[in-house]
Amino acid sequence: MSNIIGLINYGIAGNIHSIKKAIEKAGGVVKVINTKEELESVEKLVIPGVGSFKDAMQELQKSGLLDALKIAATTKPTLGICLGMQILSTLGFEYGKTKGLALINAEVKPMIVDAKVPHMGFNKIDVVKSNRLLNGLENEEFYFMHSYEVVNYTNIVALTEYEGHKFVSSLQQNNLYGVQFHPEKSREAGIKLFKNFIEL
Amino acid sequence: MRTRIIAKLDVKPPFVVKPVHFEGLRKMGLPTELAKKYYEQGADEVMYIDIVASLYQREILFDEIEKTANELFIPFGVGGGVKTIDDFSKLFHVGADKVILNTFAVQDNPDIINQAAQIFGNQAVVINIEAKKWEHWYECYTDCGRIQSGKDVIEWAKEVEQRGAGEILLQCVDTDGRQRGFDIELAKRVVESVNIPVVVASGAGSLEDIKELIEYAKPSGVAIASLLHYDKFTIKDIKEYLGLNGIEVSK
Repeated sequence: MSNIIGLINYGIAGNIHSIKKAIEKAGGVVKVINTKEELESVEKLVIPGVGSFKDAMQELQKSGLLDALKIAATTKPTLGICLGMQILSTLGFEYGKTKGLALINAEVKPMIVDAKVPHMGFNKIDVVKSNRLLNGLENEEFYFMHSYEVVNYTNIVALTEYEGHKFVSSLQQNNLYGVQFHPEKSREAGIKLFKNFIEL
Repeated sequence: MRTRIIAKLDVKPPFVVKPVHFEGLRKMGLPTELAKKYYEQGADEVMYIDIVASLYQREILFDEIEKTANELFIPFGVGGGVKTIDDFSKLFHVGADKVILNTFAVQDNPDIINQAAQIFGNQAVVINIEAKKWEHWYECYTDCGRIQSGKDVIEWAKEVEQRGAGEILLQCVDTDGRQRGFDIELAKRVVESVNIPVVVASGAGSLEDIKELIEYAKPSGVAIASLLHYDKFTIKDIKEYLGLNGIEVSK
């Protein structure tokens, strides 16, 4: 069975290079997706994200990927990384209020914590509901780099604690997965996560 | 929060060099080799700074950076000679996760911080402050510790936070490369004056120096260069020592 992972390329802010490299290290085959037609040629999707919620949604709109991605992300196994997880939500509040892909009932709000923000560095995940993506990674540390967090009550898979504040570090709804951390920047643990995604 | 231990590569292409007081360069190896070595030792991040790009007003050497990025599966911060939003964009495309900025923001156009933060997110914009101690204040220097700016370090740190920077890399012209300890007073003052993470560089000469800095100033990260380049200690040695002394670090 062919198992090509489509990596969504939108605008100037994506860090697709690092993610492509990490998926390939995990043994996967990557195709960079620039148009909605290309979405049909892959089995799985990864939505990367570096940048702001507002810019990401605008770029998806401009590229013509937006509507097709909303459908594809519910029919193919899909992984959103960092901002790529955040935009799965209904609404985002970074640089004003912006509508997200609205695939998961959630909002993205600034982290409110008595500590330095952005939350930056390696931190543990606490898996509250096991799944195949995080299988074998229950006690691992992953690299976080974010100022906003997803607020959700129904799809939580993992939580992370930052200076006494717990937030959602992974979500799942059927075949749609999201991680707030950067597996492509998390040493061997991150490569293992991509292996799990390839094997889904 | 786990204190990050970061390997810092000061690059005068094609070599990683180690200046003393930002002068008197010694060749230490190639960026690709050293980055890989420190990644394998357990570094939490690698920072790559082209220390002559601004000074020589030369273009950024993207190929060199891409080659180094290819060896890493941890965050990679890159700086030196960054002047435009296009530079940021190209650096992310060759594998940088954070862009480190000093001279252009201080001397020419601080608005680039706001623009970059809005497009790429705060977490991707790191401001490098090169501090020089005077009797009653610290001054920001640029061009790898060569040019005075007249700007006060604390005021500038607050300003870059306001403008949307996600992190500060604090270097010190007086202690850099001497391996005789950090300026812990400077570090504490900067850490306490902003709400964004501060990574402190310049001065590690022993494991005790690093411990003292973390306990006193509580930075989010420590950037190490000479200690690693001269093989005095590995990242693993540093983390083990800190862990034994009750300082939380990543595995």
